[in-house]
Amino acid sequence: MHLSINGRSLPVAPAGSTTLLDLLRDTLGLVGAKRACDRGECGACTVLVDGRAVYACLTLAHQCEGRDVRTVEGLGTTDAPHPLQEAFAAEDAAQCGFCTPGQLMAAAALLAECPDPTDAEIVAAMSGNLCRCGTYPKIVRAVRRAAAALRDTRPDVSIGAASGAPNRAPNGANGGAAHG
Amino acid sequence: MADAKRRFITTTVEVEGRTEERVVEVPAFEPAPWGADAPLTHVGARARRADGLLKAAGRPGYTTDLRRPGQAYAAFVRARVPRGRVVAIDVTAARAHPGVLDALLHADVPARTRLFDPEVTYAGQPVAAVCAETQEAADAAARLVRVTIEPLPFAVTVEQALAGGPVRPRLDANVMNGKPEVVERGDVAAALAAAEVVVTREVTTPCALHSAMEPHAAVCEWEGSKLTVWESTQGIFRVRDGVARALGIPLTDVRVVCEAMGGGFGAKNYAGSHTYAAALLARRLGRPVMCAVDREAEQVDTGNRPSAWQKVTLGARKDGTLVAIDLEARIPLGIGGWEGGPGDLFHEMYACPNVRTHETFAFVNTAAMAAFRAPGHAEGAVALEIAMNALAAALGMDPLALRQRNLATRDQKKDRPYTGNRLAECYAEGARRFGWPDAAHRGPDRAPDRARPHVRRGVGVAAQVWSTGGGPPCYCTVRFNSDGSVDVMAGSQDLGTGTRTVLQQVAAEALGHALDQVRAVIGDTASAPYAGNSWGSMTVASLAPAARMAAEDARRSLLEAAAGLLGVQPGDLETRDGRITVRDTDRSMTFGEVTRKLGNVMIQGHGSRGPNPQDASIVTTGAQFAEVEVDTETGVVRVLRIVAVHDAGRIVNPTLAESQLEGGIIQGLGFALFEERRLDARMGLPLNVGLHDYKIPTLADIPVIDGHFLDGADPQANHTGVRGIAEPAIIPTAPAIAGAVADALGVEVNDLPLTPWRVLASLAPGRR
Repeated sequence: MHLSINGRSLPVAPAGSTTLLDLLRDTLGLVGAKRACDRGECGACTVLVDGRAVYACLTLAHQCEGRDVRTVEGLGTTDAPHPLQEAFAAEDAAQCGFCTPGQLMAAAALLAECPDPTDAEIVAAMSGNLCRCGTYPKIVRAVRRAAAALRDTRPDVSIGAASGAPNRAPNGANGGAAHG
Repeated sequence: MADAKRRFITTTVEVEGRTEERVVEVPAFEPAPWGADAPLTHVGARARRADGLLKAAGRPGYTTDLRRPGQAYAAFVRARVPRGRVVAIDVTAARAHPGVLDALLHADVPARTRLFDPEVTYAGQPVAAVCAETQEAADAAARLVRVTIEPLPFAVTVEQALAGGPVRPRLDANVMNGKPEVVERGDVAAALAAAEVVVTREVTTPCALHSAMEPHAAVCEWEGSKLTVWESTQGIFRVRDGVARALGIPLTDVRVVCEAMGGGFGAKNYAGSHTYAAALLARRLGRPVMCAVDREAEQVDTGNRPSAWQKVTLGARKDGTLVAIDLEARIPLGIGGWEGGPGDLFHEMYACPNVRTHETFAFVNTAAMAAFRAPGHAEGAVALEIAMNALAAALGMDPLALRQRNLATRDQKKDRPYTGNRLAECYAEGARRFGWPDAAHRGPDRAPDRARPHVRRGVGVAAQVWSTGGGPPCYCTVRFNSDGSVDVMAGSQDLGTGTRTVLQQVAAEALGHALDQVRAVIGDTASAPYAGNSWGSMTVASLAPAARMAAEDARRSLLEAAAGLLGVQPGDLETRDGRITVRDTDRSMTFGEVTRKLGNVMIQGHGSRGPNPQDASIVTTGAQFAEVEVDTETGVVRVLRIVAVHDAGRIVNPTLAESQLEGGIIQGLGFALFEERRLDARMGLPLNVGLHDYKIPTLADIPVIDGHFLDGADPQANHTGVRGIAEPAIIPTAPAIAGAVADALGVEVNDLPLTPWRVLASLAPGRR
């Protein structure tokens, strides 16, 4: 089969059980999406499939045939950063940086759908991405900064039409969860 | 300049609250201190994080992202009982699994390498490893290994440990050192008997898990007798020591690299079973091997902040002056660990002539504890500050005023002054920023929101003290390249704190260079001189003086060379923005013009970290204020805002410091409200082993945070005036939140985390 990764069609032959994350990291060498929990709890593996943010660790590679997969490697580079990447650097929105690719892709999906998000919309879109360094306040500032930059420059930020059901839901606030 | 001085002396060094005698090197010269008013350009500036854009591009080079040619992957097989003896391990099915290359059992491990001990002493202990072409195959094969373990009696609570036999072989008693740790100054019993007011509180804090996003991981690759280890670590040199010792090979044959790492928080200070397994399998297979633990193991088997039961008694005069502090504490350490308990804080935080701490550290059949951001102090502060709030209530005193009255102006533990301690200013500035309300505007009866009468607001305050002096040994080399650019080389590592950026700023400052012409080279034992672990809030306070000295040494050589080229004396020259100018003239050369003329004649400088002053203590102090909203129908606590003001000496980069302060506060918020590793004491098993069940804060939990550092510097501490900030950040957060919840409810909830069910239970009829 062929997979469209960051706009390039690549021939791949994953096993039926291979996740998109393992395919990206171990077969294609695209290690931006991280394997931090491998069970849909942390968001470090977040990539875009047809413009929607999904957990690559909960997505089978075969589910992505004929769909448009985008990873942090396709977002931009250090020489030509995407406005989100520039904003994350400018606002110091990465400490250890391990969750950052997932944060960026969740933010990219949000801004494609919602160019001027409220704080509540940012929280709803991104609370499925954990950051143990506690960089959250700076992440929110970076997303706002990138949103403003994107609105000012009006580049084509469409990353494919949103379709299909997402496999990630916001974690929400812990305070409301029935745990402990 | 060092001729008259002795180059090596014995001195005391403090790490994580423990004091050790060590031989240290006295630097060849000591630069004049950068005082509070020193005219600095780069140091103190909000320079961008050196690798910020690299991180935003997803390319920093984490260990778990490495894909060496021919790399194989290992997965552990773990015991699922808290105690027992491995009787048999059958790897037949695992070896037959497609892609499997090797299996490693206890019998395959050299005697000197502690790995796969057949004596199982906690659930989650590795007993074997499988290695395969892919991680997927290794994980699948590990699940096919059949392990037979004969169960043995176990203990997972302090009570069980005190009642039963030894929890592991070669252990005389389950209490560490055979008896409780008791430290007393003055006469606590007499002082309590004479005190005008006495309060006692029992407080419990949970077992908290570091939960770094990047799991513990190593990639090992042999080339003949030489081994390269890429490790996600807080200490490359300590990992090198551990690997060389475990394998019985010379240090010079081991190179440890950590280009970037995805969080540590105290759990990544040593080589571990994953390192040894990767090294042994790589040697057997003749291929590079990665061993990265999975999330369950990261949560269960890489360390934790142990839970604590604390009983605090405070005695005071009617005017609020403390006369006695008494602590009794019980800590289940896990199967190993050290006495990083809450006691120290009680001897340091408040002025008090009579203090006694009585701590029982018990070994139990759970995975060993590890240092976790301010070990001991974070849990001690919860109990001490809850007791202070109770005392304030008993006295009818403002909780902030009570703390201000009992300010410790010198180190009472060591009976010596501080190099600097502006906690009084932290209280005042914090109260001003927060708008600390007077008594009429605190407590559960203040005007509620009419639309939501079941929601109550409250405020709390707590303080912090933590030893942050850093110290030797720590070295740095600064070298000019022939184009005038500069490499700052140190055997340190960057946990996400910004070590690279700090080195860049300090060296650029001391050289008089442009920031973008200076680059830090860290994270490789082969390329740089020794620096210690990034633990104990020590990195900047240890490295900055060494980096400054190395840069000044290099600058001196550069000026000597330039003086010859310009036909003047070195003393006539000054440097700024990478340009050397003959003072009071317009004659100048850029650094690059000088170094290009020199070609490969190398301008370099060496710096070493000198000893700390022996007659004073170096601490960071601070105060945090919290406002919360508690829903009395659901029990949900929401933190609305935190104001934090700390005195950490000179701040090299305010942006990075604020990032770290916010991070500590957010971890403290998790400790206060959600985080708790639960154990089934009957089965001896951890219950919440993933990030879904073990709750760390999400974006939706974050309050408004106003994190602030007092302007200034501590030139008494070291010649750069810096102290540490990492651990102080977390200490006051949970107690400030607990105080705010009690203020909102008019009822104390003294068992953390403050989950909805605990809050509701505290409000149940009969508890009011």
